[in-house]
Amino acid sequence: MKTNILKTCAALAIAVAITSCSKSDNGPSNPGNFIVAVTPVASTGVADYLLTTSSLDTGKITTVGSGVEQDGTYRYYVTHNNKFFSMLYGQGNPGAVTTYSILNGQLNKLSNFQTETVQAFAPVNDDLLLIKISRNITNPLSSWYQVNTNTLLITAEGTINTQEPSHNGETAHFSWIKQVGNKVFAPYFSIKGLPGAAFETNYPDSAWIAVYSYPEMKLEKVIKDNRTSFIGRYFTDGLAVVENGDTYAFSSSVAVTNKVLSSTKPSAITRIKSGTTEFDQSYFCDFESISNGYVITNWIYIGDNNFVVNASLKAEKGAYTVGTTIGIVNVLNKTFTQVTGMPDVNDIQGITNNNYTPKDGRYAYIGVNLKSGLGYVYKIDATNHTATQGLKVEGGLITAIQHLQ
Amino acid sequence: MHILHKQVYSIFLYLFLFIGICNASAQQKYAFSGRVITKSGVPLTGASIKITTGGNSAVTNADGKFFIQSLPSGHYKFKISYIGYKELKEELTLPLKDNQSIFFTLQEEENDLSEVVVTGRTVVQETNRQAFNVTAVDAKKLYNTTLDISGALDRVAGIRVRESGGVGSNFNLSLNGFSGNHVKYFIDGIPMDNFGTSFQINNIPINIADRIEVYKGVVPMWLGSDALGGAINIITADRYRNYVDASYSFGSFNTHRSVVNAAMTSQKGFTVQLNAFQNYSDNDYKVDVEASDIYTGAYAAEASLRRFHDTYHNETFIANVGVVDKSYADKLLFGITLGQNYKEIQTGARMVTVFGGWHRRGNTIMPTLKYKKEDLIKGLDVTINANYNLGKEQNIDTMNVRYDWYGTTKPNGSNGESSRSLYEYKNNNGLATTMLNYQINDNQSLSLSNVFSTFNRKGSDPLNPGNAQYELTKKTNKNVLGLGYSFDVKSKWSATVFGKFINQNSINGGGAAAGNDNVSKFGYGGATTYFIKPNLQLKASYELTNRMPEAYEIFGDVENQEGNPGLKPEKSANINLGMNYSFSLNENSYLFFAANAIYRNATDFIYNKLNNNQSKLVADNREGVRTWGGDAEVRYSYKDWLTAGTTFTYQYLQNLQMFEPGYTGVSIVYKDQMPNIPYLFGNSDVSVSLKNFGKKGNNLNIGYNLLYVHAFWLYWPSQGGKGVNDDKKVIPEQLCHDLNLVYSLAKGRYNIALEGKNLTNASLYDNFSLQKPGRGFYLNLRYFFNKNNNN
Repeated sequence: MKTNILKTCAALAIAVAITSCSKSDNGPSNPGNFIVAVTPVASTGVADYLLTTSSLDTGKITTVGSGVEQDGTYRYYVTHNNKFFSMLYGQGNPGAVTTYSILNGQLNKLSNFQTETVQAFAPVNDDLLLIKISRNITNPLSSWYQVNTNTLLITAEGTINTQEPSHNGETAHFSWIKQVGNKVFAPYFSIKGLPGAAFETNYPDSAWIAVYSYPEMKLEKVIKDNRTSFIGRYFTDGLAVVENGDTYAFSSSVAVTNKVLSSTKPSAITRIKSGTTEFDQSYFCDFESISNGYVITNWIYIGDNNFVVNASLKAEKGAYTVGTTIGIVNVLNKTFTQVTGMPDVNDIQGITNNNYTPKDGRYAYIGVNLKSGLGYVYKIDATNHTATQGLKVEGGLITAIQHLQ
Repeated sequence: MHILHKQVYSIFLYLFLFIGICNASAQQKYAFSGRVITKSGVPLTGASIKITTGGNSAVTNADGKFFIQSLPSGHYKFKISYIGYKELKEELTLPLKDNQSIFFTLQEEENDLSEVVVTGRTVVQETNRQAFNVTAVDAKKLYNTTLDISGALDRVAGIRVRESGGVGSNFNLSLNGFSGNHVKYFIDGIPMDNFGTSFQINNIPINIADRIEVYKGVVPMWLGSDALGGAINIITADRYRNYVDASYSFGSFNTHRSVVNAAMTSQKGFTVQLNAFQNYSDNDYKVDVEASDIYTGAYAAEASLRRFHDTYHNETFIANVGVVDKSYADKLLFGITLGQNYKEIQTGARMVTVFGGWHRRGNTIMPTLKYKKEDLIKGLDVTINANYNLGKEQNIDTMNVRYDWYGTTKPNGSNGESSRSLYEYKNNNGLATTMLNYQINDNQSLSLSNVFSTFNRKGSDPLNPGNAQYELTKKTNKNVLGLGYSFDVKSKWSATVFGKFINQNSINGGGAAAGNDNVSKFGYGGATTYFIKPNLQLKASYELTNRMPEAYEIFGDVENQEGNPGLKPEKSANINLGMNYSFSLNENSYLFFAANAIYRNATDFIYNKLNNNQSKLVADNREGVRTWGGDAEVRYSYKDWLTAGTTFTYQYLQNLQMFEPGYTGVSIVYKDQMPNIPYLFGNSDVSVSLKNFGKKGNNLNIGYNLLYVHAFWLYWPSQGGKGVNDDKKVIPEQLCHDLNLVYSLAKGRYNIALEGKNLTNASLYDNFSLQKPGRGFYLNLRYFFNKNNNN
């Protein structure tokens, strides 16, 4: 009996030794359920390496010798139905989508399928809704695709007339799309769609949301607010739905006319009450005034009416300028507090725009890329208004931080 | 033939009178030709024939033949020499009776090894004897194949031609790791930069060439250009005064090619030379592709589907008329090159992107002038060439649909399949070259060359008439002036030094970089060679070279290449060391061995990368790229019926850019190996020649070629995991077996060839995801008639 136990122990020890060896040989260097997408600093046409990690708070990951290569220049990532979608953005060419799950801390490729290159995508019910948006006034039609995240196939597609919502001789370019209740909200900026002035407008002082039914994608209503400029930014989600069903919207006030920023409205936050399809005229949060001169460039909702926002000084704002100042906004209290503990602004190359939050009302993990070429995940604490350096990322820019079960 | 000859002669007589050039004082001149052979009748290549009483000289070609022009009647003394052989002195009186051909027979020197003649397709000895790191491909040995120039080059050590598909597909030749515009192409010493897409090395058949010289690294001054990685010079040569060489081939994927070369020259030196060729292919070979269903987006795993939109054809016609062997010109030719091509575009940068309507067209309309005179004054040779290309290129993408691999379409907005366009442009390229060579004495010569080229793009697009981009000025003028000095002790050693001054002026009408950009660069170099023994040669060369950004790279082509007006000139220090040795193992077997080592250190290395949307290429500078490597070649021949050879190349290109733009830390790929460049490859060939097979005068040749390319990574080798789940993109190993049978009848007048390419039907890739053709068979028929031969 004794020898049997000894033998078993010995066998186990050997087995452990073998497994630990083979792990370092074949497995990812850092298994875990977080996925960090890293774009190499040296441009070569590779989009990203997808790295896994078990923690965003500590440790180090590197693209040297590890990571799943993602072909293409730009890739966009979205997580839905516990699947991770890696979408290729290739102008004019069809977009390839690769779907992954996490298995034993490793990325596990589920399928490839093909879509169009799109400018907005979001989870709606069990689907991903993708929209390829016209930016040319001669083409009134934009195409939409509904991808079932169970079968991983396009189940429906169609077109919508994006000149219909604006109805002002310009075309509506969705900044993003969002499921609100059983509708799809599409905040848009009105654009001329002309050569040399594709993203310019003569209407810089209004915000609009086109409301579509789902899955029919029928335009039901256009809601408008003249207190701000348009909601969101190019390829940026300007809407967030909080726990009580209210929808909050931010405007950066970055509309352009004749090549200059032309809106007279401040960067601000507005609201659409749950169950309604009108802007709540009783609510207005002038971000420029609560922040003493900043504009919002992006945000992530972390729960309990708290948002982690990127902001830039109003004097430095631009249609594609992403702010490197990080702060916490509570939309009910209409407060803004900058966090402490961030790297010096002069050392920051950029802030990742696709970040992770456990939605506990307190924490968010955001990617901070430094001019040295290193990246760090910073843990933002909305309660103490602090930023803490966490996971170190070597090899390039953090472009997305996601999590799968 | 004789009647035709007369007619041509009278046509030219009229033409000549009409032009009004009259050469009344011309004294009757004679030409004579002959062969230099060994005692046992083997032709000697590169033997020198000199007239001791007056400057003319000649060198024998690969068949041991030579040709001396424009000699007044009289008595001449000749000196015929070849290393390892006793010098021969002969006297002759011109004109010769019956226009007979002369044979000079050389005796071996007693202290020398027995006669060394290694036969095989890559050894054209005279060229290889230069101090430069040069390899000459003897094109004549490939005349019965369906190869184009790029296919022949692919078998040279140090060269890898990467193709994106079948006939007419995009190609990228890399020479010791340098590719694209680092390597310049010449035809008879004239830069081919401006010839348009209808006349490129991937559609010029091998039969147009007599030989192809490949200069690796250091480029001789007389090829006046700003090449940086090397140069390829296609020598068409006036091989015969009167001949017809016609071939037609037909094979898999509905591929048809034909070539007709002909020349007619009258006794008085009026000549007309014609080259015409045509390529056609459906390129409908099968590919293994993840074909997606256009409606669901689902990929069918590994479908094997035929390409359906990949037809390519081109037709080119070159005519030269003029005079040869006149007192004022050894050669004065007025010519025109007319060409057109049509090319369907099947896929994008990845095979999953498929198109069904997008295509391109181009044409070449290029008048040319060629003038050459040796001994204009004693010892001074003059060569002048000029041409101007009036051709156009057009990009046609008008279908607003998306295709899938099954040929199904669905509407896709209004922006064409890729980018809606009918853009048509003319580059208005002009070129003028002048070359002066002065022989100071038997050992020394001076040469001066100047190459001027001009580019002025004009384009428009009826679908986007308002696009101001088309109206902007896009002009470039470039001048390359070179001066060289050579010292040559025949058969012992030689050395040459040279300097090149390059000036480029670009006028950019628009954008942030608008303005007038004037850049001048000076480069220099030298090369030397030493013969330890007549059959053992050492070579060394060094060059500090500059390459200006090409007009294409600065301005783009508004279809495939995006402009980069901020592109900086590139500079490189090139060092080459080489040796070759030939010897006989015994009476019947010979060995030839050549090896080269290279070192390149390039700063502001210009390379093409995909633009931000991966829809176009854009040229960019990398601060530093260092290359070292080597190549080797071994050839063996047994008697005159068996030859075999192998070439092998290894090159290591290293990224020396320490900082990436916008970052302060050391780049993670600093000192990494450059990605997406083949670094280990080779070729092997065996051929058996059965003389008098079936009938006297008929020969059967059986040849086999194996191509090997080691796998290489698409992106930085150090980055990303390499496990099966890590999806690291790789261009897999290639092994390609080709076989050909050539049956020549009536001393080579009629030839029938059967070729099998990629016999194992392997899936071959030169570029990531872009599969090349599978197994194919081709039948080639050739007729060759040469009047001189036929006496």
